[in-house]
Amino acid sequence: MFSCAEFLAEFGDYLDGMANPELRVRLEEHLRECKTCRVIVDSTQKTVKIVTDHDTFTLSTSDVDPMVSQVMVRVRSRAAQRS
Amino acid sequence: MASTAETKNRSEPPAAAIATAYGFAPTLFQAQSVLPAAIEAESGLIDAILLQGPALPRREKDSILLAVAGTRANSYVLGLLPPQTEGAPKSLLPDFAAKLALYGPCISNGDIEVLRQAGLTDADILEIIATVALGNMLCTLADALSLTGSSAVQMPPPPHEIPKWNSASGPYLHFAGSLPLDQPQLGTLRDQFGFVPKLFQLQTAWPELLKAECRALELVVWSEDHLSRIQKELILLVTSTANLNTYGVALHSQMLNILGVSAEDCESVIFDPSHSSLKQEDKTLLAQISLLAGGRQSRAAFDLNMLRDHGFTPAQIINAAVTASLGTFLNTLQFGLGAAPDFPPRKTFTEKDLYLPAQLSRPTSDAIVRLDPDADLVERVQAGEIDGFEELVRRHTRLVFGTLNGILGNYDEARDATQDVFVKAFENIASFEGRAKFSTWLTSIAVNTGVEILRQRKTTVPLEDVGDEDFRPRRVQAWAEDPEALFAASQVNALVRDAVLRLPQKYRVAVLLRDINQMSTEDTAQALGLSVPALKARVLRGRLMLRETLAPHFVRPERIDV
Repeated sequence: MFSCAEFLAEFGDYLDGMANPELRVRLEEHLRECKTCRVIVDSTQKTVKIVTDHDTFTLSTSDVDPMVSQVMVRVRSRAAQRS
Repeated sequence: MASTAETKNRSEPPAAAIATAYGFAPTLFQAQSVLPAAIEAESGLIDAILLQGPALPRREKDSILLAVAGTRANSYVLGLLPPQTEGAPKSLLPDFAAKLALYGPCISNGDIEVLRQAGLTDADILEIIATVALGNMLCTLADALSLTGSSAVQMPPPPHEIPKWNSASGPYLHFAGSLPLDQPQLGTLRDQFGFVPKLFQLQTAWPELLKAECRALELVVWSEDHLSRIQKELILLVTSTANLNTYGVALHSQMLNILGVSAEDCESVIFDPSHSSLKQEDKTLLAQISLLAGGRQSRAAFDLNMLRDHGFTPAQIINAAVTASLGTFLNTLQFGLGAAPDFPPRKTFTEKDLYLPAQLSRPTSDAIVRLDPDADLVERVQAGEIDGFEELVRRHTRLVFGTLNGILGNYDEARDATQDVFVKAFENIASFEGRAKFSTWLTSIAVNTGVEILRQRKTTVPLEDVGDEDFRPRRVQAWAEDPEALFAASQVNALVRDAVLRLPQKYRVAVLLRDINQMSTEDTAQALGLSVPALKARVLRGRLMLRETLAPHFVRPERIDV
């Protein structure tokens, strides 16, 4: 059976629902026996959900159009210099 | 387009409503003649909504369909409709229709309230929503069959402004008195789902519509014929994912579970079909459906030939396209009605999903280049058409800015750097050969630019990832059931921001691209120049470090016994 260290090194695919069946069986075997790893899996899944759900670093909607305009001014100027 | 004479030679009787609605048999329906059940299903919906719908005159419904086809830039469906007479339709209905058709997840109770204040009853609004759903279905079908209309058709420009995302659910409509829940069609729904999904419960005020929907589902989805039931439910799941419809994802995941598909396989289909355990031909089919259902304004083409090459028969291809179109119909209805999910959703879509190019295509790994939704625009820019670059900037501004803001942790600095990234991309676009997707290439420029700025800062942010190799989780107290509910959204945002910015740089970038930008594992690895196993190890380490930082805020509150 996996040790906790082996479990923690291998459970990334499990989190993403991509573990192959053989690996999944071994990981779940460890999980049944180990409360600590169950807590780590649960809290890591919740971490991913929280990070995914929140628009932490997003550009505000009102800044999109000015950004596009400013980029295009610079791009057109570069294109004009080239030609 | 077909003549009326052609129509008379057709043997399928179910298209009577189609002939009545259009006065002839449009190519859209003739092209589905290998699958008469599909024509019957569509005819039933057209009859219930367009011909029998009691609330609105046909002229107003045509104005709604025109708005839907216009906003989706679908020249074929536009060409089927009578031209608008000057000043005839009020702009209220076309505006609502265009928003629901293109940005369904942004529809809110406020939009419905605007219609009510204009004097429309909830029965009128239900019919408006159903008409928009029908328009979306017809446009999706026309896209699938590669039908285009006359070039003389004037198409309105697509809206530039993306409306505000709505994360609250309804229901938005309220009908007086209790609705009859003993209608026979509800029994059919109970047989199939084991209960009556909320989406259908909200339509019981219009039994004829429910009947047409149930009949369409029976004919197209619930029968085992050209495609298996599981294949069709997978198509509906992928369609809901591409439409960013949380309700549909929850419902069809549950149906797939009932049919014996594991929860893990469902999640793979939602997040990255290329890694699911499906057969290669089914992965190809689902990648094509994702393009068809998700290609809002970009006509990243649904490729009939690719499906033929993978062994699908014409009837199977039509069945797949009609199933996806019906899925789009149901998703549009759900957005308009605001039905809350019947089950905990496997994925809850958020505002940032609107801006992700990945939503336009979730390609199979071996078809990445062919399915790059930006390929056409990039080619145009490479040929000297600078205007095409503006659309690329618009599509990816949020991706590039989010990446830089996550690396730099400074809004203004990230804004300046975003401009630099696009200018660099423009200057180097001639060397872009399409080995990666354009968005992946752009992301790698953004990462390099951000890291270079950090390097120049030196003094403020430590670049060395000292000691992280020995990292082990230390906080092992159980978390609250719903940790996000412990704080206001803005507080959670601040906690996430601090935690991400405290990650050592290499883990921060990996988590940023994979979890915040929601890029696939393969695209993230490619953008960072890493092998897939190396990237996976970094993402896992980064997630565990984040967990460690967030844990003190989210552990289960101690129960105090009084």
